[in-house]
Order: sequence, then structure tokens, then C-alpha cells
Amino acid sequence: MPVATQASLKGITPEQLESTGCRLCLNNTYHLGLKPGQEVLDAVGGAHKLQGWKHNLLTDSGGFQMVSLLKLAKVTEEGVRFLSPHDGSPMLLTPEHSMSLQNSIGSDIMMQLDDVLVTTHPDKARMREAMERSVRWLDRCIKAHKHPDRQNLFCIIQGGLDLEMRRECCREMVARDTPGIAIGGLSGGEAKDDFCKVVATCTELLPELKPRYVMGIGYPEDLVVSTALGADMFDCVWPTRTARFGNAITKHGVLNMKKEQYAKDFGPIEDGCGCPCCRPVDQEGAIGVTRAFVHHNSAKETVAAHLLTIHNVWYQLHLMGGARDAIIADKFPAFVKEFFSNLYPDRKSYPSWAVNALKTVGIDLFES
Amino acid sequence: MSSDGQQPTTTMTFELLKTAIKDGGARLGRLTFSGRRTVDTPNFFGLTSRGVIPHVTPDNVEKHLHTNGTYMALEDFIERPQQYMTRSPPIYETPSPVNKPLNSFTAMPSSIITVLGSRRLPAVCSPMGNTNQGISVFTSTGFQAVTTKEYINAVQTLNPDIAIPLADLTHKTNTPTSKRALRMAERTDDWIKEWFTEMYTKKDSKIATFAPVLPISYSMQWEYLERLSEEHASNPAVLSGLAVYDADLIPDISSSSSSSNKYKNLDPLPRLALTAPSNPHQVLRQLSLGMDIFLLPFLSTASDAGIALSFTFPPPPPPPNNPTSTSTSESAAAPESDLPLPLLPLGIDMSSPSHSVSLLPLTTNSCTCYACTTHHRAFVQHLLCAREMLGWTLLQIHNHAVVASFFAAIREALADGTFEEKARLFALRYEPEIPSGLGERPRARGYHFKSEGPNEVKKNKPAWSKFEGEGEGGEQGKEEKKEKTVEEKVDELRIQDEQSGTTSALASGVDSVAETPLVPDENADAKDLEEKGFAETVEEKK
Ligand SMILES: [Zn+2]
Ligand SMILES: [Zn+2]
Repeated sequence: MPVATQASLKGITPEQLESTGCRLCLNNTYHLGLKPGQEVLDAVGGAHKLQGWKHNLLTDSGGFQMVSLLKLAKVTEEGVRFLSPHDGSPMLLTPEHSMSLQNSIGSDIMMQLDDVLVTTHPDKARMREAMERSVRWLDRCIKAHKHPDRQNLFCIIQGGLDLEMRRECCREMVARDTPGIAIGGLSGGEAKDDFCKVVATCTELLPELKPRYVMGIGYPEDLVVSTALGADMFDCVWPTRTARFGNAITKHGVLNMKKEQYAKDFGPIEDGCGCPCCRPVDQEGAIGVTRAFVHHNSAKETVAAHLLTIHNVWYQLHLMGGARDAIIADKFPAFVKEFFSNLYPDRKSYPSWAVNALKTVGIDLFES
Repeated sequence: MSSDGQQPTTTMTFELLKTAIKDGGARLGRLTFSGRRTVDTPNFFGLTSRGVIPHVTPDNVEKHLHTNGTYMALEDFIERPQQYMTRSPPIYETPSPVNKPLNSFTAMPSSIITVLGSRRLPAVCSPMGNTNQGISVFTSTGFQAVTTKEYINAVQTLNPDIAIPLADLTHKTNTPTSKRALRMAERTDDWIKEWFTEMYTKKDSKIATFAPVLPISYSMQWEYLERLSEEHASNPAVLSGLAVYDADLIPDISSSSSSSNKYKNLDPLPRLALTAPSNPHQVLRQLSLGMDIFLLPFLSTASDAGIALSFTFPPPPPPPNNPTSTSTSESAAAPESDLPLPLLPLGIDMSSPSHSVSLLPLTTNSCTCYACTTHHRAFVQHLLCAREMLGWTLLQIHNHAVVASFFAAIREALADGTFEEKARLFALRYEPEIPSGLGERPRARGYHFKSEGPNEVKKNKPAWSKFEGEGEGGEQGKEEKKEKTVEEKVDELRIQDEQSGTTSALASGVDSVAETPLVPDENADAKDLEEKGFAETVEEKK
């Protein structure tokens, strides 16, 4: 899922986003709660209507941004307490309030308010408290949710890097039978091996017929490995944000278009890419963008960022589309191998965390 | 010149369908290039910055922008980065299967006509000044000289549909002294001689030349204009149109209004306005003088300012219940019934909170643009307020559509003889200027806004600064830059990381720390947060 933080995906129109194949994108509750605000969302009739998006929307709870943006946030049983960024007066975001906001937004998938801690948090007791509180908050969210008939509330598994705690959390959450399940707290700087263990531990316990969403994950190798470990959906701001710095995601790695070597490179952003920027100019809807043109306008005209955004979002969605096709065709291991061999020309530089994680699900990257 | 005798040297044709003498000289015409969209005139071409219509990707230009041509400035493509001083500009090496390197480099759809000039519009005045060999231009890496030879080579390499030869212009707002004006005419005359020779005598260029008509009095440039006329008389292929820098020169060179018929053969040439009119009133005036195609910097200016243009031609009829009918009883001395009507604005400030829940299209006059048919004011207001780039994209699409309709209606009026009356109503009905808008601008796009002395017309009005924080546009730009470097570093880390093939855990760790796309407004306080409904204020227990 690409992330349209403030109901807009970095300068591209909903029509263009649709053309990348995107059918589900993320809005941030925290940002929409401030601008345009709940009152406007209610008056306009929700975020779909606000941004003219005909497909699905997912919103987070607003809590994560609270904790990560506002250093002074403090979590109590009642909710997330924080000091107003401007005048320092105390504020409170409760599970009920988060639900009410997400009901106003009208997202197709909404997230429970959880007690988020970085997985590397050293205090075990606090970690347990956060996990148990997240379960209690889920109950409050379910109770406060006004539209269970048309909005799907996902729970969020917490428990840091403690696998036993994660298992316990899984059991509690699954018992509450939400339409989908998220694995939270990751992408916070934990070692990749630990990350993989948490994902694998959770997916093992989760029911087959419910979508599993690993939150805040977005580098291509993370997507592929997590998919192999049994996860279904992901979100990350990285593909769109990195586009603004002139970076193109390709199957051979990230290329910075600002580099002099691309000044006279008249090839497409990525050879063989089917996105509107890169597909051959004689094809329907092709724009005919060259690396040289992106280089020319990187950091100078917003259009360069828009073009890279289109390409990067396409890349990520196409990567997942490829994974789906491979799974259906029963060729997923081959897909994973090809992905890594494209990304790392030298097998010796395959990241060990990926090699090890894939081994646990029977994919051996070194076997030919 | 062509020996096969079937193709004229240029592929452009311009037909004048009607010249409305009684309308002062406004003309109805049609400009055609083979393989390009036909341009009914009067009309306008899109104005690019570095080869793009600001904020609009090339696919949206083709789909949504309603423009048949674009103007590009060579100075936008020929910078010399300090570390690569000796490299030739990349654009010159663009492979182009359709032999249109300018279109190919900029990904501009090949159906769109390209006009190449030397300077942006408006151009930044160079402190270095021009020389006999050529002009001084302003690139992203600073001022540099472009000789007539280099320019001719560039034009031949890039192969635009229309090219404007170099003119010796000062790009200052004050009128040049007569000595300077005379030199402007002489130099431009020398340069055009060289141009004709290089383009059409030595080579057989298919590029349509639109020769400059200088922004100096007729008496200063009549010799130059005569040369144009004579050269054109001896070989029509060398001159396809005029690039007019001052609309008030048109009467002097048009046989319909001037006493002499000296320039009769220049009459049928299309006239491209490089006059940068600042509002539609000026467009109507210049059009009445006989201008055919316009380049309109006010479009992007309005979009950047959060303004949705809202004018139509003719203006909407006065409301049935207009104040004049009631006021006539009070003041019998008001025979002009349309005078006391309140003036209509030329544009609406979309950043105004009054639109925050409005599901109306951007303007209510049945605009059929993409922005008006798929989005509404509340979204645009939100985007502007959140400084999301899509806001400016949607406004660009809308504003170009409004101007496209404006010109289409003008052509209709010229065809049926109602132009003069409708233009009169337009002047009476609308405010004189486009509102300046209170919304925050996008970050001033870098170097084009560089200050260069007291004569400069500031692109970023001082009034804007208070909404952007401290200082002027330039300062603000720097600040934003500073903010971004943290994120940029993260991305660099990530790339190095990938190149070295190590784990990206480190990068991703830093990444999430730097993930601060937006913090609440500088001015937001707890009450705002509560009012906006994000969270509730807590009464501390005593
Ligand atoms: Zn692509
Ligand atoms: Zn419109």
C-alpha cells in the first residue's frame, strides 16, 4: 500500500494512482484529524469523498504518529496523553476517540489504537503492559466502532521481540475475531533476524482466511521475505518519499537520478518496467520519460518527483503482483531467487538475515 | 528551395479566417503544423519551466491541459554544473525517433507544438548584459553567455516547431535610452541576417522562424522591420511569424491601421505575444490590437497562489435581481444600467477556509476540467492548507481550462461579430486584477527567483513571507532544504547500504526516526487540536 498521508499521494492525481494498479492506499488518521479535521470529514462525507478515491482506504489509529512525532507523549490506561506541540497543555487520544475519527474518515480498513513501543525497548515489564493494554484497548475499540458493517477493524499484535509474548498476544487478539490482523511495533530498528522471527512466529498462529498486515514495512527485500513468511499486506512511505530525493527503485536496487552518470542516460527509469513513465513510447498511456529528464529536473521541478513516485509505486505493486502470480503458479521459490539475484549480482552479498529467514520456510537462495 | 517542388520549406501554415477591422484589428485564424494539433487563434500556449508545465506531468498535459503548444527556454537546459564544466548540455544528445529532440527530452507529447526561445518568460535581467556576439542568459548554475552561433546550433539540433531568434533585450522594466534602443535594433538586425543565412541559405531548415519585434518605439526599429519585410518578400520560407514583445507596435506594422502599406506582407504572419500580460483584460486589449497567440505567466502565478481563475467570456449575465433596478428609483441620473453592478473577481482564493466543506466544483461556471469534474473545493482547500503538491496540480489543470474556454469563446465572438460588445462587458464586469491569494506558495522554485537588484520585479511578493515564516522566499527555501537533509541522509545511507550489500536494518532504523512528514502547524495549540477533533484537552486534576 502506498501511503497518502494527507489524503494525497505526493502530487499525483487519484487517476494516476489508479493507473499504477493501486486499489488500496493508506491515509494517516493523525494528519487527517488535524487537517481537515473531523468536522470537515463529517460534512464532506469521509475521506474517499474528500480525495475522490474510488477504491479502498486504510487508516492507522493515529497513536503511532502521536508517539513518534511528539516526544512528550505518555501512554496511560485511558489513552495516549501528550502535550500540545504549541502551548504545552495536556491532551488525550483514547481508543474511543480514535475509532470516532476513523469512522468519520470512513476508511475500509481501520486500525485499533495500540500501545506502541519500539521493539528494542529494554523494559520487559513495560513491554508486557503495552501488549496487555493493547488487548484491552482492542475491546474498547470494538465497542466504540460505529460501523462494523462497512468498516473493517484490524487488531494489532504487540509484544516486542519476545516471541512468547507475541504468541500470547496472538491468541488473545485472534479470540476477538477481527476481520484482519496486523503485526505491529516492527520497523523500529530491530535486527532483521529478530524482525523475521516475530513475523514467522505470528503468522504461524494466525488463521488462514484473514489478511495479515505487517505495518510500516516497505523495502523490497522486506516485502518479499515477509511474504515468504506468510504475511499478506504492507505499507511504507519510503517509495514515495524517496522519490522526492530523486531515487528510483528498480529490481537492481535503488538508483539516485541526481547522479551525474544519469545526465545523458536516455534509457527509461528502469528497463522493462511497465509503468506509465517507462513503458515503450508506442504503448498506450506511455509518457516516454528518460533518466536524463528526471536528472534534469530532480530537486528543481516537482514534476520529476511525481514521475518517480508513479514509477516507484508501480514497482512495489508490480513486485507484489509478481509474488501473487508466482504463488498461484506454484513457482514462488523461483520468484524469490530471481528477485535476490537481480538485487545482488554477487551471491556472496545476499543479506544473511534474508537467507536464514527464507531457509526456515524451505527456500534456499543458494540452491540453483 | 526544395528541388522536388512539392513541399514548401516549412511545414507550418497560417490562415487568417477573419480580421475584425471594426474590433480594432482582432483576428481569427488557424495555425497548422503537420503532425501536430491544429491551433485555432486567438489562443495560448503553455509556458514551461525547465521543459515542464509546473506541477503537471506530461501525461496530464496531454490528457487534461487543453493546450496545443508549449514555450520552452534554452536557458533552462544549458547549465554548467561546477564539477562538469566541460560537458555539453545533455539535451543536445537526445535520441529522437521522431526527430524532435526537444519533445523527446522533455517527454512532451509529439502532438504538442514546441516553441523554443532563448530566455524564460519573464526573464531575469542579467547584470552582465549582452554583447555584439550574443546574449547573457540565466541558468540554474548562474549567468552565462550564449552566442548567436551557439544559439543557432542549439535550435538546429533541438528542432522545435517554432524558434525565436535572439533579440538584444534588456529585460528591465524601464524603457531603454534611445542610444540603447538603437543598439538593440542594430544588433537584432545583425543577428537576424546571420540567422536567415545559417538557417535557410546554408541549410534548408524546416523550423518556423518567429522574428522578434522589439519593445522599443517604431522609429527606433523601422530599418530592422523593413529588413524582415524584404527578406520575407524575397523568400517567404525564412519568416513564418512574429514574436512580439510589445503589443503597441502592432498598429505600426499592420497595414490595416498604419497609413503606409510598407509591411503588407507581414500582415498574414501569426503574432506570438511575449508580452506577459498580467490579466485577461490585458489579453483582450492586445488581442484587439491583432495578437494571435499568447504566453501567460499569470496562469502558474495564480495556481501557485492558490487561485482558481473564475472568469468567462462574455461575463455571466447580471443577476435578475440586480441592485441597479432598485437604485434607479433613488437616483434617476443612472442611465448606464450595467455600471453600478458589483465587480466580479477574476479568481477565487481556494485556500480560504470558507471552502473547507464545499463540494462545489472549483468554479461554478460549468468548467469541464478534470479538477472540476472529479474533485471539489473542499479537497483543493485541504491540499493547499496541508501544502500537498496535488493542490497546485489541480489548480494548474483548472486554470489552463478556464483560459482555454476564454479563448474559445473569444473565437466564437469574433466569428459572429459580437466580440467588441462582449469585450466591453468583460471590462465593465470584472475586477481589474487577479486576486493575489493568501495561501502558502509552493517552495519558490529555486534559482529563477534570485534577486538581482532594484529593478527586479519580485516573483515572491514580500507579502507572502509572513505566511511562510521568517524571511523571504529564498530564506524559506534554504530552511526547507536544511530540514530535508536529514531525510536525504537517510536515503543516502540506504543507497550506500544497498550498494555495499549489507543489511538495511541500520537505514530502516534511522528511517523511522526521520519519519516526520508533517507536524502540526507552528501556530496550532491545544485548542486547535481539540476543535479539529483530534484529541480532547484534559483538565488536570487539582
Ligand atoms: Zn517505471
Ligand atoms: Zn475547472
